[in-house]
Amino acid sequence: MWLWFSKLGSPKWFYELSGKWLPWLVIPMAMLLIVGIIWALLFVPPDYQQGETIRIMYIHVPFASISLAFFPLMAVAGTITLVWKMKLADMVAKVAAPLGAWFTVLALASGSIWGSDIWGTWWIWDGRLTSMLLQFFLLIGVISLRSALEDTDAAAKACAVLSIVGCINVFVIKYSVDWWNTLHQPSSSFSLSDEAPNPPEVWVPLVIMIVAVYLFFAVSLILSTRNEILVRERRAQWVQELVEAK
Amino acid sequence: MTGQQATSGQAFRATLKRDLVIAYKRKNDVVNPFMFFLIVATLFPIGISPDPARLGEVAAGVLWISALLASLLAMDNLYRADYEDGSLEQLLLSPHPLYFLVLAKNISHWLVSGLPVVLVSPLIAYMLNLPDEAYGVLLITLLMGTPVLSLLGSIGVALTVGLGSRGLILAVITLPLSVPVLIAGTITVQQTLNGAELGGYLAIMGAMLVGALTLAPLASAAALRISVN
Amino acid sequence: MEAAETQSGSVEKSSHSILSVNSLFCERDDRVLFRDLDFAVNEGQVLQIKGSNGSGKTTLLRILCGLNDAYEGEILWYGEPVEERVEDYFGSLAYIGHRVGVNKVLTPVENLRWTCSLQQVVEDEALYAALAQLGLRGFEDSQCFTLSAGQQQRVSLSRLLVSDARLWILDEPFTTLDASGVKQLEALLREHADRGGAVMVTTHHNLAVSDLQILKLG
Repeated sequence: MWLWFSKLGSPKWFYELSGKWLPWLVIPMAMLLIVGIIWALLFVPPDYQQGETIRIMYIHVPFASISLAFFPLMAVAGTITLVWKMKLADMVAKVAAPLGAWFTVLALASGSIWGSDIWGTWWIWDGRLTSMLLQFFLLIGVISLRSALEDTDAAAKACAVLSIVGCINVFVIKYSVDWWNTLHQPSSSFSLSDEAPNPPEVWVPLVIMIVAVYLFFAVSLILSTRNEILVRERRAQWVQELVEAK
Repeated sequence: MTGQQATSGQAFRATLKRDLVIAYKRKNDVVNPFMFFLIVATLFPIGISPDPARLGEVAAGVLWISALLASLLAMDNLYRADYEDGSLEQLLLSPHPLYFLVLAKNISHWLVSGLPVVLVSPLIAYMLNLPDEAYGVLLITLLMGTPVLSLLGSIGVALTVGLGSRGLILAVITLPLSVPVLIAGTITVQQTLNGAELGGYLAIMGAMLVGALTLAPLASAAALRISVN
Repeated sequence: MEAAETQSGSVEKSSHSILSVNSLFCERDDRVLFRDLDFAVNEGQVLQIKGSNGSGKTTLLRILCGLNDAYEGEILWYGEPVEERVEDYFGSLAYIGHRVGVNKVLTPVENLRWTCSLQQVVEDEALYAALAQLGLRGFEDSQCFTLSAGQQQRVSLSRLLVSDARLWILDEPFTTLDASGVKQLEALLREHADRGGAVMVTTHHNLAVSDLQILKLG
């Protein structure tokens, strides 16, 4: 177990292994995405309340749910960085922050587009949207701290601390924003994800889209980590050989 | 010349006292956040409306946001001078747990930058036409909430103390972290105005204060070690 | 400065080693500062660390003080890993770096009182005596921004007189001192070693200290 752990920490080993994994992730991802999108856009029956607008749910819900994974992921990677000084963990943490920001923006944008039809406005201070927005700010904080610190090692550890603090805070924010929101709007207007029990032809494509987006998340994370490995290990012999071979 | 080893309590007191003496000698650092609080709170009626009824509705929020910004502005003094003159290295080399020393610095910093803001807040509340029955709650929530703001801000400053220009990045890091306290503080004031029982809300604020007191100095200490590295 | 070579010099390990270092490796910004560095400081020794600019003298001292953890290897305090003797180690270490740790708005006495009280209980008489010994009589109660750089350096050095620390780690302590200050510090180093303490010091200045040990970096 320990050996496996320290081996996984080696960027070279991860680079080679992930190279083998990638096709097994990309192919199902592509298939699920195609099936899910076509199904959701063309074959799902329009909602009796929301009509055609319901189709945005198939984008919004997957992105919104995966966005919540970023801070825990960065906090775990940060802990590994601080405790075991594993370089790979920091590479993952580094690429996860901007990726998380993009996913959060997509979740916010799709939520806002969806809301524009249901609520008649692009933005309301809904609990979920608000805490998503705050999570976006926290991610931006981690990204700007990373770019402000020049020393890679110091940046790694500082961002690790901030990610752990941020992760705890995201949970506190989530609860406090919900609390704030319910107290300010006792009669909550339509909520995005509280769907009534739906027939299979509605939720099966949703599940497909969720799995597809999770795979998309995994693939983007692995690809950007591989990129980061090449950048940071550019002086290492195996990277030089790799470049010459191409 | 040999003296006995100091206890952690003695080191804590020495650090607290030192920082208070420095604050006493650098009165600008104490007065500026305080003036900033007054000015920001004055800008709201100018920007929103002088109408007492409208001001009364937003008064609690205005006071809390002004206190939050004043606390942020004051934070930069916390470790900067010590970082630049090397005192921070001496602090890290102490045999005592860094937790207590950081806590001492945080407490003294709150005493000189947070407490004055809390104490003057009833005056501003009066000018903003906050309903009479909310004064007590406002004071209590600020008294419990501003230390949390200082403790959280301390983490941000500790992370950025080595940077040349850190004003904005400090705000970007710290302000989102402060949201739960802002929510708890303003909700408590508003709910008491609506006639709710105060106990439960104060319990939540108390929990935040205790949580911040135990965890935040640890994060600050870790961040200081990284920044000095 | 390709691969930095290190020489252990004349510094041998013995059972009296206060601090010993085994196969220390440090890399900064993709550049190896030192590799397989082995040395020890013993009771009664003054060890001067020499090396050109950028050879890692300051980094080495900061690693030994626990201010920098970007290293691999072993640091032993009386034969035991420092990480296991943290309280003991930091209780008997005095470090003066490039940034001397003197707050500008405080007076010399206030500065000294605080830094010393981080380690031990101090009496005010001892503080005043130490400052007087280093030629700061009459300046005890003026704020430090009114003092010259050399005088501020003296304020930080007065810490050594009050402290019980066995190991002194001094990074370029001579830079701002005048001729008499240099002489006085050299004498202090020797006295401390003779009392059974140990000193590690970096300087470009030729130390006039008898029985000086030298470690060369780079």
